[in-house]
Amino acid sequence: MKNVIEVRNLTKAYKELRAVDDLSFEVHEGEILGLLGPNGSGKSTTINCLLSLLQFESGHIRIFGKEMTPDAYDLKAQIGVVFQDVAVFEELTVYDNIDYFCGLYIGDKNTRKAYVRDAIALTGLEEFVKFYPKQLSGGLLRRLNIACGIAHKPKLIFLDEPTVAVDPQSRNNILDGIRILREQGATIVYTTHYMEEVEILCDRIIILDKGRVIASGTNEELKELTDIEEKVTVEVDRISQEQLAQIKALEHVKEVTNSKNVVSIVYREGEDHFGKLLAFLGKEKIRYHKIYSERPTLNDVFLELTGKELRD
Amino acid sequence: MLVFRTYFKILTKYKGIVILYTVILLCFAVFNMQTSDNSTNFTASRPDVYVENKDEEGALAGLLCDYIKEHAEVKGPEDLKDTEGVSDALFYRQVNYTVEIPENFSEDFLAGERPDIVVRSIGDYQAAYMEMQLERFLQTASLYQKAGMEEKQLIKQIKETLKETVEVELKSSVDKEGLSKGAFFYNFANYSLLAGCVYAIAVALSSFRRDCIRRRANVSPINNLRYNLQLLLANGVFAFALWAFYVLISFVMVKDVMFTKQGLLFIANSFVFALCALSVGFLIGNLTTNKEALGGIINVVALGSSFLCGAFVPVQWLPDAVLKIAHILPSYWYIQNNERIAKLETVEPAAIKPLLVNGAVVLGFAALFVAVTNVLAKRGRQRRV
Repeated sequence: MKNVIEVRNLTKAYKELRAVDDLSFEVHEGEILGLLGPNGSGKSTTINCLLSLLQFESGHIRIFGKEMTPDAYDLKAQIGVVFQDVAVFEELTVYDNIDYFCGLYIGDKNTRKAYVRDAIALTGLEEFVKFYPKQLSGGLLRRLNIACGIAHKPKLIFLDEPTVAVDPQSRNNILDGIRILREQGATIVYTTHYMEEVEILCDRIIILDKGRVIASGTNEELKELTDIEEKVTVEVDRISQEQLAQIKALEHVKEVTNSKNVVSIVYREGEDHFGKLLAFLGKEKIRYHKIYSERPTLNDVFLELTGKELRD
Repeated sequence: MLVFRTYFKILTKYKGIVILYTVILLCFAVFNMQTSDNSTNFTASRPDVYVENKDEEGALAGLLCDYIKEHAEVKGPEDLKDTEGVSDALFYRQVNYTVEIPENFSEDFLAGERPDIVVRSIGDYQAAYMEMQLERFLQTASLYQKAGMEEKQLIKQIKETLKETVEVELKSSVDKEGLSKGAFFYNFANYSLLAGCVYAIAVALSSFRRDCIRRRANVSPINNLRYNLQLLLANGVFAFALWAFYVLISFVMVKDVMFTKQGLLFIANSFVFALCALSVGFLIGNLTTNKEALGGIINVVALGSSFLCGAFVPVQWLPDAVLKIAHILPSYWYIQNNERIAKLETVEPAAIKPLLVNGAVVLGFAALFVAVTNVLAKRGRQRRV
């Protein structure tokens, strides 16, 4: 598999703080790589180093097989970036903004016109082309931000937390757009602290903490890193400490927690936990309103590996 | 030229403010044209002269009295009733000059004698004028008497000779009033140029200088130098266009002056100042990206320096302390040049030299602002990295 990005032993420090610490990874052609980690884990610093926006202490970065430097304009021409902060001109319309940022890459007027039209369609901004950024909602503004970053049809796209503070409709639109970009052949590096997005979108995931890779692999590979098999949650009328202890003593139960009569039971292994729990509740005549089962999440993996939650 | 074109697209969003500064300039210029006194005439004032004619029968004495009447307000004894005689009238400036024609003046004069006419004067310019007229009369009469003319013929000749006048026309190659209006217009243009340049350049630059926009440019294949050069060119073109527009207005408002050498100097001086205004715009555009703060900054920079340096009120009305402070502002040197140009009789190397010195000071300020801008921009880049 061809590597689009190769990072070797990358280290970036701010005085005493090592924001990125001896980081190495690759991004394969055509994949969506998720960089997952809590705030301050080094995701954005890594992206900024990859784009030569930040100088770094040591390490090597190769993109499309070439060393990435601030004046590697041939490489920059093939890269698209969607920054975390919305970066558009308040004085220009939606169309003019996309046209300007596309124009930084595409000189030919007719090609640019077609590309801008495609970007508008991809992000669903057709009805807002004459609007000024101030007239757009937060979600639409994010979509404009994405359109400005990808209008020139780059081969490699960096998306730095593109769905922060957007409504569910815009989020779905953005995620659909990213899938389309991948189908069109783009390689995507996607940073976020929303594990659900990474789970449904990314082919491979790198989990970062304190500037280091703590785990990497596919969604399934990462979940195998934890011994959690299933999580069952029951909302009950009331439950005694004795009954909780009895649940804890059931086969394969790893952990039981109770928060305001919402009981979470974590199972290590085994089968039919749900049936066995229902039988126990019936036997003990414990009344419940809601009961549901979940597979382990990346948050559980992160918790297992670091002892803290992703959103800490 | 994408950056160049986008700069002007952004600027069109702020054209209202620049138009406002231009309208203010036009209003003040029109107001000035209408309130200026266009009169170039003067009215000669006539001296008050007390005449006592003791030769009432004599024809020459009568002619002298008539001649004095033509050139002065003649007062008789009845006009001096509130005073105790001629001395008092002179002391209280009721008259400027007194003439006492002795008895038998006409007869004695025709006989070749020169009877004494007693005159007294308060010594002012009106008395001197009267002295001159009296001397003229007596010299003319003496000339014809020596030629041996009889009384009748002598009187006739004197009358004809004294009637003759010489028309004197004072001509000046410079239109002082027009130059003064030109100076007023260009002095006020100090405010409009400075405010217009600072506002437009600073708002447009602040849009391009926002960190997020700058980062997008930095990750794109556009060369950093090319990007900055396009911005520089756009700023220069805007400042030039604004300056050229104000010069065009000056050709409409004070066209007679603008086609003279002094007009050319006004234009050159304002061009130098436009360069300085451009550098101030650069500096402020680098100091802040906060568009809301720009209104306040313009008030301090453009309005403040225009008041301190005499753009709105004549420099001679400003207190010395204010003028001393004004020395540290480029507007002062620009306005000083406008005032000098308005007073230039001829445009020659010696007269232009101080203008060049002041112009060099303005350019020096521009260079200083550019240097400070570069230092600030460099620090900003280092901070971001």
